[in-house]
Amino acid sequence: MPYTKPIPEPDPLGKPFWDGAKAGKLMLPRCTNCNRVHWYPRLICPHCHAREIEWIEASGEGQIHTFAVQHRAFGGWADETPFVTAYIDLKEGDRMFTVLRGVDATKPETIKIGAPVKVEFEPANDDVSIAFWRVAEE
Amino acid sequence: MPGELSRAAAIVGAAEANEIGYPEDPKTAIQLHVEAIKNVSDQTGIPISRINGVFGAGWSSQIAEHLGLHPAYIDTTAVGGCSFEMHVHHALAAIHAGIIDVALVTHGENGWSSRATKGRGTGRSRGGDPWDPGSLYSSPYGVSGAPSNYSHAMTRHNYRFGSTPEDFAHIAVVTRQWATLNPRAVMHSKETHPFGGPITIEDVQNARMISWPLTLLHCCLVTDYGGAVLVTSPEIANSVKTKPVWIAGAGENMSHSNMLEMEDFTATSAAASSAAAYKMAGMGPEDMEMAMIYDSFTVTAGITAEMLGLAPRGEGFTLWKDGRAAPGGKFPINTNGGGLSFNHSGMYGMQLLVEAYRQLSGTAEDAGYSGLPGKQTSARSCVVNGTGGSLSTTGTLVLVAD
Repeated sequence: MPYTKPIPEPDPLGKPFWDGAKAGKLMLPRCTNCNRVHWYPRLICPHCHAREIEWIEASGEGQIHTFAVQHRAFGGWADETPFVTAYIDLKEGDRMFTVLRGVDATKPETIKIGAPVKVEFEPANDDVSIAFWRVAEE
Repeated sequence: MPGELSRAAAIVGAAEANEIGYPEDPKTAIQLHVEAIKNVSDQTGIPISRINGVFGAGWSSQIAEHLGLHPAYIDTTAVGGCSFEMHVHHALAAIHAGIIDVALVTHGENGWSSRATKGRGTGRSRGGDPWDPGSLYSSPYGVSGAPSNYSHAMTRHNYRFGSTPEDFAHIAVVTRQWATLNPRAVMHSKETHPFGGPITIEDVQNARMISWPLTLLHCCLVTDYGGAVLVTSPEIANSVKTKPVWIAGAGENMSHSNMLEMEDFTATSAAASSAAAYKMAGMGPEDMEMAMIYDSFTVTAGITAEMLGLAPRGEGFTLWKDGRAAPGGKFPINTNGGGLSFNHSGMYGMQLLVEAYRQLSGTAEDAGYSGLPGKQTSARSCVVNGTGGSLSTTGTLVLVAD
């Protein structure tokens, strides 16, 4: 089935993330000076301002920080309303945005902040895979 | 004789990006910025973390965010090639005024490299650059505009403080009460709009869901607006026929540009911007007699009231729920009917200023050009707070009547 939703145009700065996504791995930038992970990718560590940044393979585990249920959307997403968007606290630190899977968008009261989630990747085209997070099975 | 600003500040360092001209590997604008910024920091020994004012001809908040800064002065004057000389001028004034003491004036432009990047990475228009982090790491996920972002803040507020969407619905109900007293308000009555006139909590909660937990009536209007204010010297202010409203205090700040970087979804930089404004004014929230608070959404107003020190953390909505903010209440808020029910054109900060002037100059019931009066309160002081972006940037003014 063709991927109908917006497909980002990866930039050179985030290349290790996009390469990792294609291979089914979550890659995150980490400062070699202060050892803190940051998201989104930077040219300079936003914590200590060192410019030596490495990429690590992350666990792909996190927790729901907060969420919303989108009842109005455009383009390819319009066909999927309602769907749940969420900010994910990464196990390694900092936060990502996603569309949450494994939840019932018509019952937001059943979705719990703090619930554990795992990353998965969906190929959007030959070059780009998109990260989605799924509520972990009990 | 030199003017008051003469020698009030100096340029203490100047550096370029590592590679300029025709780089072999294409560079993005942000890359050129960051290289030059790191270099001038190294050159002067002033840590990047010490910068408290950021001046750029576009993208100032994104640059500040990329650096992890929360500057107390943000200037994006972009009027062509002379912008940077103007930034120095504005920085001089800000430093002289004691608002900041380390100003970063920065520029990065990939005129050559953008041929190779096919126009990407130029940073020329906010949100329009496919290599902007918001486009790369948020737009794949179906969010569209402000409501789809702000809803995440209310969910977190509800979780952290035990508040409910119904609590925030009181903000919409009370703000509509003000609109019914202002014939200029879009939602004044059934005469001005089919859905105008008073509303109930049930109306708010049963309205069409936009982005749970925000229904349509938790969201602001989309209208047209034009407004302007004049700011003058005290000499002129004291000689004209209109009443002056004094700028007792002013402050600004930002917590992030992209919501990805919003550390605390239940807080905004209005805590910092209002602290600066109150300090400048020598006044505090207890001295305020009314407030004009940007209400793009009910949650914006509720959280901001907490940030301005008008209510304890987690309890901003109580100002509306217990009637203090309502017509006849002890602490009027959004006396024009707010962005929720008066008018919201996209950027509502001007509407806040106009209403604050009308209230504090005692002219709120003047029919004026439109022939339509508003509702006058007795307030002599007002805290005004604008919020921009995705709960990103804030500007606070403390205004007092003559």
